[in-house]
Amino acid sequence: MSHHDVVVIGAGLAGLTAAVRLAEGGARVLVLAKGVGATHLSAGTIDVLGYAPERVENPGEALSRLGDGHPYGLVGTGAVAASLEWLKARVAAGSLAPYAYEGGLEENLLLPTALGVPRPSAVVPETMAGGDLRRRAPVLVVGFRAFKDFHPALLADTLRRTGTPARAAELDLVPEGRADVNSLGFARAFDDPSFRAEVGAQLIGRLRADERVAFPAVLGIADPHGAWSELERRLAHPVFEVPTLPPSVPGMRLFAILREALRRAGGRMILNSVVTGAEREGGRVGALRVRVGLREERRGCDWVVLATGGFASGGLELDSRWTARETALGLPVAGVPAPGEERFRAGYFEEHPIARAGVAVGSDLRPEGHENVLVAGATLAGAEPWREKSGDGISLATGHRAAELVLDGVRQPAAAGS
Amino acid sequence: MPNLQAEVLVIGGGATGTGVAWDAALRGFDVVLVDRADLAEGTSGRFHGLLHSGGRYVVKDPVAAAECVAENAILRRVIPDCIEDTGGLFVTTPDDDPAYGDRFLAACQDCELPAEEIEVSEALGREPRLNPGIRRAFTVPDASIDAWKTVWALARGASAHGARVLPYHRVIDLHRDGDAVTGARLRNELTGEELDIEAGFTLNASGAWAAQIARMAGIEGVDVVPGKGIMIAMNHRLVNTVINRCTMPADGDILVPIRTVSVIGTTDIRAADPDELPVTQDEVDQMLDDGERLVPGFREARALRVWAGVRPLFQDARVGEVKDTRDVSRTHAVVDHLARDGVEGLLTMSGGKLTTLRLMAQDIVDAMCAQLETDRPCRTAEVSPPIDENEEPYRLGARLRRREETLQEEQLICECELIGRRKLEEAMRRRGTANLDDIRRTLRLGMGPCQGGFCIYRATGILHGVGDLDGAEAGASLRNFLQERWKGVWPILYGDQLRQARLDDWIFQGLLDVEHLPDGEARPA
Amino acid sequence: MDVLGELMRGSLDHCVKCTICETFCPVSNVTPLFPGPKYVGPQAERFRVGHEPSFDASLDYCSGCGVCTQVCPQGVHIAEINTQARAKLKETNGVPLRDRLLARPTLAGRLGTPVAPLANWSLGNRPLRAAAERVVGLHRKAPMPRFAGRTFQRWARGHTSPPAQRRVVFFHGCGTNYYEPRLGEMTVALLEHNGLAVEVPKQGCCGLPLQSSGLFDDARGYVHRLAARLAPYARAGVDIVATATSCSLMLKREAIEILGMEDDPELRVVSERTFDICEYLLAMHERGELRTDFRALSETVTYHAPCQQQGHGIGKPALDLLALVPELRTIELDATCCGIAGTYGLKREKYDIAMKVGAGLFAQIGDAAPERAVCDSETCRWQIEQATGVRTAHPVEMLHRASGLA
Repeated sequence: MSHHDVVVIGAGLAGLTAAVRLAEGGARVLVLAKGVGATHLSAGTIDVLGYAPERVENPGEALSRLGDGHPYGLVGTGAVAASLEWLKARVAAGSLAPYAYEGGLEENLLLPTALGVPRPSAVVPETMAGGDLRRRAPVLVVGFRAFKDFHPALLADTLRRTGTPARAAELDLVPEGRADVNSLGFARAFDDPSFRAEVGAQLIGRLRADERVAFPAVLGIADPHGAWSELERRLAHPVFEVPTLPPSVPGMRLFAILREALRRAGGRMILNSVVTGAEREGGRVGALRVRVGLREERRGCDWVVLATGGFASGGLELDSRWTARETALGLPVAGVPAPGEERFRAGYFEEHPIARAGVAVGSDLRPEGHENVLVAGATLAGAEPWREKSGDGISLATGHRAAELVLDGVRQPAAAGS
Repeated sequence: MPNLQAEVLVIGGGATGTGVAWDAALRGFDVVLVDRADLAEGTSGRFHGLLHSGGRYVVKDPVAAAECVAENAILRRVIPDCIEDTGGLFVTTPDDDPAYGDRFLAACQDCELPAEEIEVSEALGREPRLNPGIRRAFTVPDASIDAWKTVWALARGASAHGARVLPYHRVIDLHRDGDAVTGARLRNELTGEELDIEAGFTLNASGAWAAQIARMAGIEGVDVVPGKGIMIAMNHRLVNTVINRCTMPADGDILVPIRTVSVIGTTDIRAADPDELPVTQDEVDQMLDDGERLVPGFREARALRVWAGVRPLFQDARVGEVKDTRDVSRTHAVVDHLARDGVEGLLTMSGGKLTTLRLMAQDIVDAMCAQLETDRPCRTAEVSPPIDENEEPYRLGARLRRREETLQEEQLICECELIGRRKLEEAMRRRGTANLDDIRRTLRLGMGPCQGGFCIYRATGILHGVGDLDGAEAGASLRNFLQERWKGVWPILYGDQLRQARLDDWIFQGLLDVEHLPDGEARPA
Repeated sequence: MDVLGELMRGSLDHCVKCTICETFCPVSNVTPLFPGPKYVGPQAERFRVGHEPSFDASLDYCSGCGVCTQVCPQGVHIAEINTQARAKLKETNGVPLRDRLLARPTLAGRLGTPVAPLANWSLGNRPLRAAAERVVGLHRKAPMPRFAGRTFQRWARGHTSPPAQRRVVFFHGCGTNYYEPRLGEMTVALLEHNGLAVEVPKQGCCGLPLQSSGLFDDARGYVHRLAARLAPYARAGVDIVATATSCSLMLKREAIEILGMEDDPELRVVSERTFDICEYLLAMHERGELRTDFRALSETVTYHAPCQQQGHGIGKPALDLLALVPELRTIELDATCCGIAGTYGLKREKYDIAMKVGAGLFAQIGDAAPERAVCDSETCRWQIEQATGVRTAHPVEMLHRASGLA
């Protein structure tokens, strides 16, 4: 049986953060994941706290007011701040350097969504920061007819209605000669200097004096800093990218950076690996069971970080009889209404009773009765990330904190009943 | 106040109404058809898609059964493009009395319904997901029929013969001149404008709402018993044949493969108001259990959407209170208001089912001709409505084949249902609509597994361009779509569909932040 | 009644259309001819009716590499759905002669081995290759292996392992048998060096090329015959190790999931005892049973994990093993697929796509300029060697040399 210091279950932002921090801290880490995590689906920004329930201007302050029913309340503002600084440093020194993230806990930027709605975001890629709507500089929104996931006229319309002058343009460039190009296809095109030159040629002379130029978030996958900064130079105007539907290129960049960081630090990752159970002795998990074909493999570990992504990825499951379970280790799920009770309300945008369900943990991220299991990310109870705009922040902060807690424990063998 | 004139006003744009308009227009009448909403938004758009062989009624309601046998064959002849010949099976589940099968077979023979008993092993070979514990199996000529294609084909046919088809025109009053109904007042729901229509004759084909319409002419006691039934669409075809439970008609005893989904139905609960059709948790649980009886593992399969439809079951108020809506006959009747109420110029169609739409239309238009003392024969059993060249025939694989041809040329907007950009833009232009829900009904936009997660933002952007909407209207249309979608999703949100919902929440709220779109005036829809 | 097939197909219910598979698909990212795994898998499957003919020809461009299934966060068996749908497509459209020939390596092997010099010369002769491309559809530049002129089976029949405490069975695969018998010899030597007695029963092809070409019934026959040969050993508690990662994956998983052979008792018992050789050696090492007195190898090698190796779900044990060799510098390459995907890249209409798919990998190898490009799968090695000119090696070869057995 293989043995690792820590097995991290899940390869999303929470899992990868924990794994990289652990590997860089000297632990022997194995990541087991059913598949690639939700980084590919996210905006690529770190949204810490956007609405609580009013729009948040100072996320650090707002999250300090959350009780310990909320993951932020559990780990504390300091841990959140530390995780943000850690990520910024990781990206700056990572495989896409000098691509970098900027921002912090003191203030939220307001970045436009692909619909043009101002969305609060704390830490964002440099390629997006220029879109901060707190500044009222006018925007030229540039899309591509061949890119169906971005609609500049609609975006510009909403910007105007929210107080930012804006207009739209649609370019006819078709990368790779395809009829239907996805964001990755465009990102590869933007990695190509001759494509950038084409884009520049079509826009120069059309820009007004104080305009900044918005593109969909496709400004390069192999060298986003190069692509973006060169565009800015060519156009001689500020340029920023706007996240849109998956596949998310900025999300993929983040995944690539963390994946490479894990590799460099000696961590291992196995995909298509579904943890079906654990071997326990008292409150300790000694090994995880994984099924491949007809055989069940056992993976020994001293610590487990469970970062399986909640209901969205099957880390938590609700069956047709309305009972919920946590699918890897069978941990109890809190906050699920009983089978006869209301789970969802009739209005789509209302808060639904089941929204904050998840695994309940203490401030050390361990569920009751478990000595060496920590839970991070969307599997945790107490948050409603899509309404609060807090998903990335929670994953990052709890993943980072889980790693730090384990590293403390690894240095001193876990005391019984701690 | 603008005025319209017509020989015949048809109220109701479902299968019945469009069938009536087609029949009357074919007979040379000048027809106007109105519906308060989009066509097929009432019962027709909410049924399970079964073109009955009649097998379901042979024992209990042989009149209705005989009608189905005849009309099934006729519809296959005149609107073949709307029908997929799935065939049907009646199966005796472990919970059913095997002896019923004999009654069933005998009754089928009496109705001239070509049913045949086959070996259970053959049935299981045909349908591997069927309950291996079934004890008997019979084949019948069931099929699945696409209601929207049907309704729009009939409406187009009527238009081709001069009829004016007016969705979003609500009847707010009927005009009485002494003992005659002479027309109606309409309100255009999109513009708010009111208009009068003078019509020589009015045909009330409004289904479950027939009583409300009749009341506008001062006629009471047309009692329609709204029989609510819920249906659940499962994400993919668990079966490719219509599966019926071989027993007396019960809830949840039909599983219909229609388009890309399989639909389990249905319950039968008296509803007080045809516009108030709540889906209850008990009904959902019951449907899932019923599905499990037919297909083991049903509860682990993915439920896509749940909705309620309402059957217009006619029970003459003067005959007596109905106890169990399942006991009300499924056949239809023309309510002759001249004979019954002394009012001329108005006939009401009540009862019936989509399978017998043509016969229902024939009967009511015949009755109208009798009252008008004119002899114009019905031709709908021989003449087909014109085919739309842009639409593909109703075969499951049609869209896949079509997409294969345009793979290198066209953007795919709704990926789940394989809708290309050109087709979407055409539909938007043709309908002239600001409402994404209308497009959903005709094209199935956003009706696949992702329930609009990926296509609706794209469609909103396209609508904003093509439909010449402003951003506020586009945003309102998007919000409206999400709310309408939610209605059909939240009662069955478990398992895979809950995962999907979380991803969709992530996209619409986390990524796009639809919730915080600045308010704007939506065009009324 | 193909219950498991229905379950594979039923896994399409898990698809939430997230597009992650599309971002990783090596084929759809280089050519618009293939609409992508999500499209041809869970999406199109909803439009396919069992008994009706197929017409989505674009499905044929799926290389079967299996990366989509690996990265899918929802557990959709995308590659398996695609392979089954492709089989149906072949039923509708027929299987070309070329596919039938390529799908039977034992046939080619048996024909070519006795006349190896002539066969190899033909494979290297440009006009003949051009003719083969026109007539049979085998691309003139397709990286065909060279016949060894002898079979590994023959060598094995004349070889007996020294007595040992434990036995293993060696499932060598067609590639070793007809083209690389030396690899087979090295594997046996390495296992014996580590205290195992090696049995090499008579064995045939695993049927993977037949499965990839959509000839499911034939494939099942091959699998059944192979399993029947290996089952007696498995029942006796003897482990089965394999150097060809694609072939062992067939026995471990694919024959059950794709061919629906879950009820074959011999396959079941064999499947539970089949190991990739690196997986097995690493497990021995974790138990303290592997000899690690390796000589230093002062070389730089690259390591590429083939798609089918990743399908084992065991990580990259070759890396951990190579790390035990002193002074050996191993560069882990970051590329998804080399493009060959079994026999996919040999075909006339797919060769260019395969070369585009592998371009990134080839460039990385070029940049690294290693002494060897290490890779567990023989078809990948042939592709890499032809494309880069770098000599390739199975991980076993490195360990064999480091063990002083060369």
